[in-house]
Amino acid sequence: MLEIKNVSKTFAPGTVNAKKALQQLSLTVKDDDFITIIGSNGAGKSTLFNVICGNFLPDEGHIMLDGKDITYEKEHKRAKEIGRVFQDPMRGTAPDMTLEENLALAYKTSGEHGFCKALSRRKREFFREQAARFAMGLEDRMKTKVGLLSGGQRQVVTLLMSTMITPKLLLLDEHTAALDPATAEKIMEITKTVVAENKIPTLMITHNIEQALTTGTKTVMMDDGQILLEIDNERRAGMSVESLLALYKEKKNQAFTNDRMLMS
Amino acid sequence: MSYFIGEIPMGLVYAVLAMGIFISLRVLNVPDLTTEGSFGIGAILGGVVGASCGAFWSLPAAVLAGACAGLLTGFMQTKLRIHPVLSGIITLNMLYSVNLYTIHVATEKLSGVKNTNLNFGKNTIFRMMMDRLAISPNSAAGSALKMAVLFAVLAILLILLVWFFSTNIGLAIRATGNNPDMVRASSINVDRMKIMSLCISNGLVALSGALCAQLGGYTDFGLGSGTLIRGLAAVVLGGAIIKGSRILTGLLASVLGALLYQILVAFVVRYKLFGADSSDMKSITIAAVMALVLALPAIRTYIHNKRGHRRRERKDA
Repeated sequence: MLEIKNVSKTFAPGTVNAKKALQQLSLTVKDDDFITIIGSNGAGKSTLFNVICGNFLPDEGHIMLDGKDITYEKEHKRAKEIGRVFQDPMRGTAPDMTLEENLALAYKTSGEHGFCKALSRRKREFFREQAARFAMGLEDRMKTKVGLLSGGQRQVVTLLMSTMITPKLLLLDEHTAALDPATAEKIMEITKTVVAENKIPTLMITHNIEQALTTGTKTVMMDDGQILLEIDNERRAGMSVESLLALYKEKKNQAFTNDRMLMS
Repeated sequence: MSYFIGEIPMGLVYAVLAMGIFISLRVLNVPDLTTEGSFGIGAILGGVVGASCGAFWSLPAAVLAGACAGLLTGFMQTKLRIHPVLSGIITLNMLYSVNLYTIHVATEKLSGVKNTNLNFGKNTIFRMMMDRLAISPNSAAGSALKMAVLFAVLAILLILLVWFFSTNIGLAIRATGNNPDMVRASSINVDRMKIMSLCISNGLVALSGALCAQLGGYTDFGLGSGTLIRGLAAVVLGGAIIKGSRILTGLLASVLGALLYQILVAFVVRYKLFGADSSDMKSITIAAVMALVLALPAIRTYIHNKRGHRRRERKDA
């Protein structure tokens, strides 16, 4: 379970460019939650992920993962328990290394020595089995450099790398946005299967509202560093893209009126 | 011909240097300017420790000193967030003083006079082995032994490095050079990997320096100068001839590059390509060759485009 408690983050504080990226944000991801996050550019979605992963520290608030306070833990340490897939397929893999070498990097069993051979025959076999699960033809390309794979294949590799050892939290940062529609759909299906099979608490950012409403168990809308709407599964059932946008406008109305007052 | 064969032992010494540079430049993907300093300290310790504590100890002493230099550069690059090139320059300048101080103190102790070079002639590992095997140092067997020892050193290093880069840590280092973002996201300590590989790289460079001193039975404060371009040229030249992304391929290419470099320089000096001052001109020769090799892909594209353009023009006419 992930608990985010009153987290704030301001970029360039004390200057004219000061940007409140997160404002007193609280969110709980339970063990069986698969939450989709939507929101316009600059709403703070990626900042939220970066704070969870430790790319930078929040100004205020706490982040708890399974009861442990990880607010100030180093990035690579918490990465052991948090899997993350980025929008850019180039980002999650080492392009000049082979597929099995990439998997070996992610799969270091606890208690294994740093000077152990990274690719034993047993491990090679295991990686092949893992790669074969997705029917993407990966199992025949174990010795291919990952840079030569397609974007979709690379995203599957990244997904596999971050879930081979079941993480306590999975973060998906628009991970299908750079793919063609057919591939994107396939990767989404694979994602749903992997998350369901391993029961991984998951947060997914997307710009596709339709996808946000039909995926996972809950949808969160962010705006201006805060959570504007939290829609659980029952309310989502009868909701269309239009009704969600209407709800968004209604919530934002206050801000719109204020803007109009300023402009006139 | 025998003149060029005579250059091979020195080429093998510089092959160790090239392997060190290959690790920082190609595997870690960082140009490391510490090289000249760590080669220098290796060469000085190779002579000084060899002359005072026994020839064999010169090698581990040099490796240790080089690794410390790499540690310092790595620390500045990662924990202090200084630009990699600047970190190298800072360590290089620190080592300039350290090296000068070391050779001054050592020569004063050993011969009573402060000096910037030391001739320790017979106290080398090569002479030790020749004495034990009763081989005369100036015979053909003597130079064959030198070559055999150096080949053995290279072979051992190659096996060790290939093994190391196939372990979990080695794999993590390769990934760090390839895509640091990804490594950070996969729970590996990027800083530690960078520091570790700079230690290994500079340890090898210093070992090369020590072997250089041991081979000549002579050490000089200036032995390190010019080694950076020499090592870079070897890696680039070798990489242009033998292509491939595997560690073994890259290391072998670097060794080949170092040998080629040595022979190329010998050729320039031997046949006085630039007249009487040819040995003054060897640096510019190598720099020019290196620039040419590095520019090859761009030149190839340029020619290719031009040709295509002409062909199209002909078609239109």
